[in-house]
Amino acid sequence: MTKGAVTVVLVLVAFGLALVATGASGQDGTTADGTTADGTTADGTTADATTAAPSNDENVLRIGWAQDPDTLNPFVGQNEEDYTVWALNWDLPINFSPKTLGPAPGIAESWEVSDDRKTVTMKLAPDMKWSDGKPITSKDVKWSLDELGGHGVLFAGYTSSITRIETPDPETVVIHTKRPDARVIGGLFVYVLPEHIWGKVPLKQLKGQYQPDLPIVGSGPYVVTEYERRKIITMERNPNWRGEPGAYDKVQFIKYGNQDAVERALDLGEIDLVREVESSSYARLGEQDNVSTRRSQTPAYTQLSFNMCPERLCPDAQFNPAVQDRTVRQAIAYAVDRNKLNEIATRGTSFVANGILPSYYKSFYETPEQTYPYDPDQANQMLDDAGWELNDDGVREKNGETLSFDLYVRSESPFTVQMAKLIAEMTQDIGVEFNVQVVSTDKLYDLTVRSENGKPAPDFDTFIWGWGGDPYDPSFLLSILTTGEIGGSSDSFYSNAEYDKLYREQTGIFDTEERKAVIQRMVAITQRDLPYLVLTEDPQLQAYRTDRIQAIKPVCPEETGDLFCDQVSYDGVLALEPVAGASSGETGSGNAGLAGLIGLIVGFVGGVIVTRMRSRGQNEPLEIPE
Amino acid sequence: MTGRWLFTKVGAAVLTLIFVLIFNFFLFRAIGDPTTQLARLPGATDKEIEQLKSDYGLDKPLLGQFADYVGDTASLDLGISQNTREPVWNEIVDALPWTLLLVGTGTLLATLIGAWMGVRAATKRGTKTDDGLLGFSLFTYAAPEYWIGIILILLFAVAWPIFPAGQQATPGVEFASWFDEALDVVDHLILPATAMTLMLLGQYFLIMRSSMVDVLTEDFITVKRATGLSRERVINRHAVPNALLPLVTLSAIQFGAVAGGAITIETVFSWPGLGELSFNAINDKDFPMLQGTFLVFSVGVIFANLLADILYFYLDPRVQSR
Repeated sequence: MTKGAVTVVLVLVAFGLALVATGASGQDGTTADGTTADGTTADGTTADATTAAPSNDENVLRIGWAQDPDTLNPFVGQNEEDYTVWALNWDLPINFSPKTLGPAPGIAESWEVSDDRKTVTMKLAPDMKWSDGKPITSKDVKWSLDELGGHGVLFAGYTSSITRIETPDPETVVIHTKRPDARVIGGLFVYVLPEHIWGKVPLKQLKGQYQPDLPIVGSGPYVVTEYERRKIITMERNPNWRGEPGAYDKVQFIKYGNQDAVERALDLGEIDLVREVESSSYARLGEQDNVSTRRSQTPAYTQLSFNMCPERLCPDAQFNPAVQDRTVRQAIAYAVDRNKLNEIATRGTSFVANGILPSYYKSFYETPEQTYPYDPDQANQMLDDAGWELNDDGVREKNGETLSFDLYVRSESPFTVQMAKLIAEMTQDIGVEFNVQVVSTDKLYDLTVRSENGKPAPDFDTFIWGWGGDPYDPSFLLSILTTGEIGGSSDSFYSNAEYDKLYREQTGIFDTEERKAVIQRMVAITQRDLPYLVLTEDPQLQAYRTDRIQAIKPVCPEETGDLFCDQVSYDGVLALEPVAGASSGETGSGNAGLAGLIGLIVGFVGGVIVTRMRSRGQNEPLEIPE
Repeated sequence: MTGRWLFTKVGAAVLTLIFVLIFNFFLFRAIGDPTTQLARLPGATDKEIEQLKSDYGLDKPLLGQFADYVGDTASLDLGISQNTREPVWNEIVDALPWTLLLVGTGTLLATLIGAWMGVRAATKRGTKTDDGLLGFSLFTYAAPEYWIGIILILLFAVAWPIFPAGQQATPGVEFASWFDEALDVVDHLILPATAMTLMLLGQYFLIMRSSMVDVLTEDFITVKRATGLSRERVINRHAVPNALLPLVTLSAIQFGAVAGGAITIETVFSWPGLGELSFNAINDKDFPMLQGTFLVFSVGVIFANLLADILYFYLDPRVQSR
């Protein structure tokens, strides 16, 4: 036998022995992993030889994500992931119903609206306690609305109409508003924090480096007990939770380096649920054993925006004036096949949109009369009638103006880049040219917020971007197109007095049907004027392991909602139940690989020693290469 | 003589560091007004932007900002992360050990294995062993590290699941003892460290091979052989120590440089080190954090270079005699 062969044999023997020796842990390792391969049910926590994994009777819901909260301080947090945690830790004054998303008891058990609709009186349930055992009182609500609602980066917009808050007794909160504001009931999206903790911290610190101590005192069913940034967040049951406890003892959010790693972890059974799956991997994940996917509606959309800034407001704006010709915009709308955009750019995962109100808002949505179905003939006819004639380059022109527009898209959003290219192709058929410009988010932001001499001076013809709204109340999404938001959120610089009036009107209507009618009129105006051509409604794509979580009923709202009411309500997580005997927990390799590797090294070293001994004394000539 | 040589080297390192400090400051200000990054919410009012500028000291003139920056950096205050609102220094101190563990293991293994392979190839030059080792190392040298990482994950974490696919430890587990925890970390370290080793292996192999080939053609080797020393002894006692010199200095220099190069491997394996910290900071446009990690990477390279110079000084008598 040659020296090399001896080494190889020794290595293989040692490797094999090591694997056999760790057979028990190897078995453990493949149990969980095996669930993906052979479809057998995970038989529980595979506490391997070396780790003290959670005990079998402890149910842990493991959620994976590629982006974790930068901070859990709601005064400064700006990421959507922050809400996923906050929504389990704290209540809102009035929560969202998981069935309808309408108002449901939160910190307030009941509420009344005064006759002039400018005063809302909330009654708190008696004997509610924070997780540290201190009572929850009206002072907590007032402090939170004043301070978090007044200074929190993400919350200040919700309290703008509130003039005064009174707390006549520990169980009563009286909120006075400038004008009737239905959002006080259906959309006061400000978490109620314990004043006895947060109130002691100076505001400057709250808006700066303050991090709440662990466990983070809360009123929700779970509170944060462990927070290792870029690694893990663990939430455990709130001992003073007032309702039925959830089926899980713990909820863990595990951070992975990238989205691929998150989805692979689901495949491997390391986690139970992914709250956001990429559209590119959605279909593939759905085909995996023991993995089920869910596509649900959200209050968000992706739109093609037109520069509508009127001369009086933006004297120095830079754009092709033809973009402000309503007929041109309507023709473009007819020429864009929104179904195809969805099919190709978002792989069929989005929902085709009809106007600025997503169909997610069931209480207020109605398909608008004007939906612009794909009809290039109609588009051509409209442009012909308006006197736009094709030039030699195949682009229409009139009085020296050509229908050639810049179309900006963000490089960070590949699907909108694809949408832009598709739109440019589609509108070629009607003689409208779009020059697709792929730029960074910062660049596009700069182009839209540009100002000169203290006045807005947006520098673009069109762009594709998106907006997301609140869970129940559509006011925020509707506000974007009001004149008042020019210089604020408005990025199409649309201004229409009637729309503005209707906007103010609807915010003060507490009756849903009555409000819906007004909102429909607003949608109709924007469908006629088309400051935005809303292309698709963005989906929430999620996936979970069916061998870990029992069949999930979509919530928020029922039937069309997502898996666990992400970012909106803790009721979704409370409704989740583990599969019997499949308590989530340890998965992975055990240490079979490590043991095998040690065996390999031992075998290798052994092989080297043996061959050295065999070759000792041999004095073969040294062949010095040229 | 030695003192003067050392003084020159340390002086050069300090000058480079000063240049890096200045460059680092202006680099991030040249990108644009940081307040547009700070006010990430559209529609931030002028008052809010003024407040942000004041909070971050951006309302001062540039020279004043620079003076603050130098003073703060000297006292290891690298500013506050715009996203996490935590001191950048604390975040770096949390992440640094993980990067050192990964890069250290990878560099050590790559040096040892690369050197061994280099010696094998050089002493068997022109044979199939040489061709095989050369081909293998050129392949790993040329392959992108993230690709190697993904292949390792697919092979050893998905197809044949014997190692964890990522992270530095099993999340959410309370370990019975530090030994259990260490074993768990080692288990998680194997795949990323293998990727790191493969990434570095090629150049160490090539350096060692060519260095060995040079040494083996020198007269003293023939003389040693002629005195009747065994082949093994000539190679191990006389050729290898002489050929190791460039390898040692290369690994010292590389150690500083690869901390930055670990970005992709750390991201692929969800390894919570400086690379992943930088990757997230780039995604979030967290300039103070980026400024901090850039500075640490630069200091790493400068320090490693200085270390390599000093090592060389002791290892190679020719430097001392100059």
